[in-house]
Amino acid sequence: MRKTILILTLLSLAPLARAKEVLPFIDNDYATAVARAKTKHVPLFVDAWAPW
Amino acid sequence: MRAFVFTDKALERYAGRFVWLSVDTENSKNADFLKKYPINVWPTMLVVDPAKERVTLRYAGGATVGQLSKLLDQAQSKTKSPADDALAHADRLANEGKNPDAAKEYERALSAAPKGWKPLGRAAEGLMMALTMTNASEPCATRAEELYPRLRGTLSGANVAAYGLSCAADLPAEHTQRAALLASLEKATRASLDDKTIDMSGDDRSGLYESLVSARKAAKDEEGAKTVAEQWAAFLEGEAKRAKTAEQRAVYDSHRITAYLDLGTPEKALPMLEQSERDFPTDYNPPARLGLIYRTMKKYDEALAAYDRALKLAYGPRKIGILRGRADTLLAKGDKEAAKETMRDAIAYAKSLPSGQVSERMIGALEKRLQTM
Repeated sequence: MRKTILILTLLSLAPLARAKEVLPFIDNDYATAVARAKTKHVPLFVDAWAPW
Repeated sequence: MRAFVFTDKALERYAGRFVWLSVDTENSKNADFLKKYPINVWPTMLVVDPAKERVTLRYAGGATVGQLSKLLDQAQSKTKSPADDALAHADRLANEGKNPDAAKEYERALSAAPKGWKPLGRAAEGLMMALTMTNASEPCATRAEELYPRLRGTLSGANVAAYGLSCAADLPAEHTQRAALLASLEKATRASLDDKTIDMSGDDRSGLYESLVSARKAAKDEEGAKTVAEQWAAFLEGEAKRAKTAEQRAVYDSHRITAYLDLGTPEKALPMLEQSERDFPTDYNPPARLGLIYRTMKKYDEALAAYDRALKLAYGPRKIGILRGRADTLLAKGDKEAAKETMRDAIAYAKSLPSGQVSERMIGALEKRLQTM
């Protein structure tokens, strides 16, 4: 758990490639996502990750 | 999360209840997002009110399907107590990087918590994170010891114990409470690790092992540290063997590297990293990690070749670390001029990144490193 804090270490809790997901994620486009959430009147969920 | 959790059909019922955004913090497209929502823990999950573009829930770290379901239910809960309001305020402050203020608000949430309050564990973990981020080792360890009995038998209890243990290990050797805090929190962390009823992911368990290794090292018990590191490596090898996909297996690569380095057996990492490089030919991580392993083994030519393969694939802030690894390898090999040239490349690349992805402090550290070469 603590290891997640260390910046630019080798440790990664993130996997290496996009697997099949059951949730319809928008990739790397905050403006589109927040606009869609406003229109749908639902909250925005953000998964912030790094590939390392 | 992406290999084990977001693929689980149990989450389908939440699909229409949120808009889902995936943010690769290494991707320069997200620089503006990162200015608004700075991320310093990976992964971090946020729930944002789109009308105000304001964080309403923040959780730093990974989660199982069950934990994520609870977070999503909490995010949409209509009942708000004073403790809920304090927790939401604390999450916003943590998102703004105001960690001392966030710690106070997490404390206020814990004080106001009604009996059976569901986010108790999340508030306690938030407090631990805020104290860790401000290097407040003593309050972190002390509060972990106080909070653990309220959270015993839960993942949050395990995480609070492990955070506290790492903080206790960071206390100066002359601190009068250090030994007692280390002993108490080590016992709590070990009990959490041995409790098979806790819904805990493999990487959560790996984090507990890591804290236990650091505690043995802090106690100057090299043999004890080695014994725990052996258990840790065996656990990780078992998890990797049980993985159903290459992605799931590779999740453990970085954890296994740390355990093998702790054991002084870096060569054990070679087969898995070579496998990962074959499985993920466009991923810079396997060759970058091979570079580190070969450098540790003093096989400098192999290390340089691996770093060069990684650099062809790398992007974002991680590329700076790979260039640093390459420079350190050249220096170890005795080629000082080439090492300096690689460091200059690292600095130029860092300066080319958007401000949300690199700090002045990081650039300053690179320049300082170049001067000392």
